[in-house]
Amino acid sequence: MVRKAVLYVLLTLGLGVVVTPFGWAVLSSFKPEQEIRQSPPTFLPERPTLDGYRALLDQMDLFIVFLNSVVVAGVIVAANILFCSMVAYALTKLPFRARNIVFALVMVQMMVPGIVLMIPQFVVVANLGLVNTIFGIVLPYLVMPLGIFLMRQFMAEIPDELVHAARIDGAGEFRIFFRIVMPLCKPALATLGLITFLTAWNNFLWPAVVAQTQDRYTLPVALAIFSNHQTSQYGLLLAGAVVVVAPVLILFLALQRFFIEGIASTGIK
Amino acid sequence: MRKFSRRAAIGLVATGLVLSGCGRDAGTSADKAKDVGAGKISGTVTVWAMGTEGEQLGAFAKEFEAANPGVKVVVTPMGFDVAHDKIISAIAGGATPDISMIGSTWMGELAKTGAVEPTPSNLIDKSAFFPGSWETVLSGGTAYGVPWYVETRAFYYRKDLADKAKVKAPTTWEETQSFASAVKAKAGASQGVYQNFRVGSWQEVVPLVWQAGGEIVEGNKWTFDTPQMVSALTQFQSFYKKGTAPNKVAEGAFPQNFIKGEAAAFYSGPWMIYGLDKDGGAGFDQKYDVAPYPKGSAGGTSLMGGGDLVVFKKSKNRDAAWRFIQWLSDPKTQVKWFQTTKGLPAVQSAWQDPALTSDKRVAVFGEVLKTAKTPPPYSTWEQVARVLEGEIQKVALLKTSPAEAAKVMQQKADDIGTGL
Repeated sequence: MVRKAVLYVLLTLGLGVVVTPFGWAVLSSFKPEQEIRQSPPTFLPERPTLDGYRALLDQMDLFIVFLNSVVVAGVIVAANILFCSMVAYALTKLPFRARNIVFALVMVQMMVPGIVLMIPQFVVVANLGLVNTIFGIVLPYLVMPLGIFLMRQFMAEIPDELVHAARIDGAGEFRIFFRIVMPLCKPALATLGLITFLTAWNNFLWPAVVAQTQDRYTLPVALAIFSNHQTSQYGLLLAGAVVVVAPVLILFLALQRFFIEGIASTGIK
Repeated sequence: MRKFSRRAAIGLVATGLVLSGCGRDAGTSADKAKDVGAGKISGTVTVWAMGTEGEQLGAFAKEFEAANPGVKVVVTPMGFDVAHDKIISAIAGGATPDISMIGSTWMGELAKTGAVEPTPSNLIDKSAFFPGSWETVLSGGTAYGVPWYVETRAFYYRKDLADKAKVKAPTTWEETQSFASAVKAKAGASQGVYQNFRVGSWQEVVPLVWQAGGEIVEGNKWTFDTPQMVSALTQFQSFYKKGTAPNKVAEGAFPQNFIKGEAAAFYSGPWMIYGLDKDGGAGFDQKYDVAPYPKGSAGGTSLMGGGDLVVFKKSKNRDAAWRFIQWLSDPKTQVKWFQTTKGLPAVQSAWQDPALTSDKRVAVFGEVLKTAKTPPPYSTWEQVARVLEGEIQKVALLKTSPAEAAKVMQQKADDIGTGL
């Protein structure tokens, strides 16, 4: 009983530490500029205002930028769910000779820091004529190695007998993949979806480099314009942060059940 | 200046890749500037610019478009943090705009990629600019761009506290120390004079080196282990030793400590005028003033920074691009730009306009600019600056001596080299 009480106290403290800065950011998005920079800071807005949100709407094309973010994240999530699963299926359910070598190559890619690849990737994208296109922004992220790893670990747990039985019944590989294996992978797919969504949604450097006009900017890229060292508009930035975080939060709450299941069963982290 | 001081390590990785991996022809003195024609211009001019400049330039350029029918200026604003990587990537991929704004310490690196055009001298007169700002566009003796706006540092102090302590704004290093002691003892300014010893702290120390008569670079070699550097660091450290500059305050304490009167002075650029007027509340502008840098044995040389403009060799509309830059460096346009963004004119004659002379605090910066200098435009400068900051912090925390710090700076900077 006492141990449980201690546990709850600790959890509550931990929650406080995690949530307070976030809560302050959300509340501060409703404060006037001067109050945000005030020292000592206020927690609840003393003079609530929508100026930050108004500035956000006035100074950037929020609709286009938000739409770009949604399209970029949507395409990347869909592509990863399909392609990572396909690769994982091949790596676990299709016997071929170089299987382990292929998997090792995938793992090697996870070790290479993305930043090292940025310029070479940009050169490729530029030579393909994809600079300043949404396709150029999503291209390097369509099949992420982490996703392949995640799906492979999960699919390895699915009994091969199911696949064998389906083959004996005359089902083709695509049919087995879509009708039998994929439905069994739902928890892992939810995890994959969430991880790729977060990566794509928060991605900053690559979209900022590939997008060359404002109408191709994603949310984080557009917001960065307003973050200077001397003249940051904190009201606008905090309002923007709320707009960036809200969809992630909603998605997480919706997928929470699957997410926890997926992580627990693949043994990552 | 401060704006460009923070550059992520990733930028250096990217730069390394461009410089080594892609093996472009180096921009050497063989680059000859081609004249720009005086004929009619037309078509689209694409421009990249950072922060406030990027936000404002699009609307600002309407006047240029009106004067040149058929020309359209398309501005893409970008965040400061990504600008460097974006430009370097664009060069590597051959996907550059016509014009880009760049940080005033980037020229060495960009010229080396061979992607930027030498400045046509038939269009741009270098004598119109502050000598220090023109230095920022030079690489190997060739000009590769045009200064757009400038920034420099001066001494901000609380007039009310100085009056209370019966001291005037210091004009020499010695007076700065007595100023700090006086405001601390008699006006309740518990922190004395605020000196930044964290990110960007090289900007506090490099001017002191110049004021002591030293240089940080000579004949393409770093010169940090010099008596002048030691004397600069000694001056810097003396405030911490006497307790007249704070080295225990939290990073975010500034500028609130100035507004509250805990710190009675600090060194910074013109942007602080607008920041203080905004954060200080009504009447605060009456409580403080700006003075030129207190002089060392060799004068009061300050540090200059700002933004430059370059035209890329791959520009599809070269003539229009240069003519747009020419228009931006016209004294009248420079004054208007100051009124729009508070960016200080790089063109000297613009400073005679009432818009700049009427605010005495701004006018001080105009004086300081006449002798201000810039850090060398070497591609490794940002790396070396990080080394300096590391040592300066130790000096401020009294964990090393000025002589020892100067030695370490020299050693580490030599390891990095000048990139030439």
